[in-house]
Amino acid sequence: MNNPDVLKSNRRALILIVIGLALCLILLSMPLYSFSASVYTKKSPNTFVGDEKYQQVRAEVEAVAEDYRAKGHEAVIGEDVLERVNSKGKTTSLITFTISESFDRSPLSLIRPGFNASYVLGTMLALFALALVCAVLGSAGTLALEHHFLNKRASLLRGTAAVALLLALLLVPVFILMNNYSFSRQLGLYNAELLTEGKDALFAKMDLLLFDGAMGDQIGTALNGLTMEHSGLLWMLLPCLLVSVLAAVQLRYGSVQSSAAKAMLYFFVVIVCLVTLYPYYVMTVTAFRSNAETLDMYFLHLFPTKWIWSNLSDIIHRGVPRYLLNSLLVAGGATVLAMLCGIPAAYAMARMRFKGKKAFLGFVIMSQMFSPVVLLIGISQLMNTLHLNDSVLGLMLINAAFNQAFAVWLLRGTFVAISPEMEQAALIDGCGTFGALTRVLIPMAAPGIVTALIFVFINAWNEYTIATVLISTAANRPITVGITQFSSFNMIEWQYLFAASLVATIPVVILFMSIEKHLTSGLTSGGVKG
Amino acid sequence: MNSPLNRRWWEPYLWLLPSMLLISVFVIFPIIIVFKLSFSEISKAGVIGGYIGFQNYKDAVNLPAFKTVMLNTFWWVVSVVGSSTLLGFIIALVFNQKFKGRKIARAILVFPWATSLVIQASVWNYIIKYEYGSLNSVLLNLGVIKQAINWRSSYQIEFIWECGVGIFVTVPFVAFCVLSGLQSIDESYYEAATVDGAGFWDKLFKITLPMVRPQLTVSTVLNIIYVFNSFPIVYTMTKGAPAHKTDTMITYLYMLSFYERKKGPATALSVIGFLILCACSGLYMITVMRKEEEQ
Repeated sequence: MNNPDVLKSNRRALILIVIGLALCLILLSMPLYSFSASVYTKKSPNTFVGDEKYQQVRAEVEAVAEDYRAKGHEAVIGEDVLERVNSKGKTTSLITFTISESFDRSPLSLIRPGFNASYVLGTMLALFALALVCAVLGSAGTLALEHHFLNKRASLLRGTAAVALLLALLLVPVFILMNNYSFSRQLGLYNAELLTEGKDALFAKMDLLLFDGAMGDQIGTALNGLTMEHSGLLWMLLPCLLVSVLAAVQLRYGSVQSSAAKAMLYFFVVIVCLVTLYPYYVMTVTAFRSNAETLDMYFLHLFPTKWIWSNLSDIIHRGVPRYLLNSLLVAGGATVLAMLCGIPAAYAMARMRFKGKKAFLGFVIMSQMFSPVVLLIGISQLMNTLHLNDSVLGLMLINAAFNQAFAVWLLRGTFVAISPEMEQAALIDGCGTFGALTRVLIPMAAPGIVTALIFVFINAWNEYTIATVLISTAANRPITVGITQFSSFNMIEWQYLFAASLVATIPVVILFMSIEKHLTSGLTSGGVKG
Repeated sequence: MNSPLNRRWWEPYLWLLPSMLLISVFVIFPIIIVFKLSFSEISKAGVIGGYIGFQNYKDAVNLPAFKTVMLNTFWWVVSVVGSSTLLGFIIALVFNQKFKGRKIARAILVFPWATSLVIQASVWNYIIKYEYGSLNSVLLNLGVIKQAINWRSSYQIEFIWECGVGIFVTVPFVAFCVLSGLQSIDESYYEAATVDGAGFWDKLFKITLPMVRPQLTVSTVLNIIYVFNSFPIVYTMTKGAPAHKTDTMITYLYMLSFYERKKGPATALSVIGFLILCACSGLYMITVMRKEEEQ
């Protein structure tokens, strides 16, 4: 079982892990972050370049700069001249002198307690150490063994190394983004006085970190003009670490290929799920923000600073319960009606032989093709004639009719799939056709019926277009139309809009998830299975 | 059981009657009304006059926005159906693999399908707002961008966003249709192919694709119809502004009949839309009926 090839490749893997980690450490200790800050500013009005006052102020600034230099700072002096002709034709001028400092720091030197990014980097370093120790211990004495023959301890250790490195890899972007947040975004928000809480504590920490505490009271000014850029080299951490990860996987599983495919798979799935969930995150988070925060121009926070639960109680007073009730009536009524009409039709289609069966099937499929939208004008005309305009009942009937095709189709598919023997037995026992249907077939077809039922319900619940045309009285609106009252032309109350949306969405999503398994078989059974 | 001897000839029709009645009154009757109206004179106040031949159709075709709207409708249907079919197919292939958390992933994928379009469109509307939208907020706070980006700087871009939202809500439907097909493929086909030395692409094009073709056909045709008929996305996100440049046929005819009081041309457009749908559904029915005969 000892195999020289395995020994060679495992040794190479170990070396690669070390090289990858070493490269990462080298990168982390390189001065990749460049800062620039103005440590001192002096504004001098009515001054022109070269005149007496200019010379005087310039000398003052030079003196201050000397002080800084004495403390070991770089202290570059800059001038900003602003000249303007005023309304009386006189030229005014303002010269701003700044003493600025630029300095480079390595990521490792930015580690300080109190900065979230530092904790991330610390965790990464700990993971590096853990991975290294595990990889070495896990290979000690077993380096020449093929991965199938490893004992439990060795495979566990090698596995830990791979997982630790993978986690570290995932932390790289988190670290970079968090550092950016601390040194540009968060700082910018404090400087613009959009954030106030915890400002002094953070500034004191930044003073210690960037200026060794030399700024003291001046730190506010210094941080006001602070800019931070990181070199693109920082992203090289990813490929360097990837080398280690792949090597660790090779060490544990013998080959990278299958694991890489699996990793890609998970990556893809996670991306799809994240993109899918993103609007729901937005909906949920916005539903609990204050109105001011929903319209905040400065994009303050990923989550509400304060979760406003009263948004939910506020929408109760804005008619939402009524809309929900209307939706329930429309969707519930439409479902019952669609089933009452659909089940007999589907039964006849599945079990009886008669002339014009095909024509009826065509008729049904035809009616499925037309969403009510293209017939809007005709429908509103019809509803006017029937005096069903602006009524919940009218909406219910339309929804039932336009879901009829789907219901018949799906139910027919379900019935066909069930063998008719049981009903025949029931018929022979003296049940009528009706009895055979209700006592035998319906209980047997229950899963299919429930799927059709839920599907029709959800379709009717989510319907918007017909409702918006037919319903004009506020009290008759279903929820899909009701929520649009929160977005009038000149004012959109996003928090209420999304609070109501959330309430309207949760039940149907849960219902839909409950029929997920039958979803596809139901939908395509009509067309595919016949 | 197919025909117990004591069943009368009219009994099956009795069973069909409620369903027929419902469809006839609320689907077929409006079709007839729209057809009739499209050949009638309709005043601005909505008073219906006598027969005027094809005048409404001429008016409709001569509307200044007609060409733009038809082109938009074409691109809307083609881009949404095409992209979501491709994406849905890929997602179905991946979600058909065995992996931990597959049930959860599939449950999440159902979300957009179960949510009302008007709600989806409102959320995306908020996401891409320039001044306070969520997309800018997330990207800025993560430090990915330094400055807020105007995500809807022109109407063309807004239309692309609308198509994007359309794709977002359509993909799950395609994915689940394809998934149902994939689940019915016997594993042994792939095993045999592997033994014969077939690669990934060979298997994809020679086994997977032919086997899920029925599901792909059904989902594509149904999608063409659903997407063509889709109203809430465009209506919520732009209302067709500016000057109908982002309208599709459905939103346009809504605007015409309920805002601009041009019911005549609107009914003509309805009929045109109806005929386009008829062509699509005819295609669909032929496919379905052929399946029927094969059985």
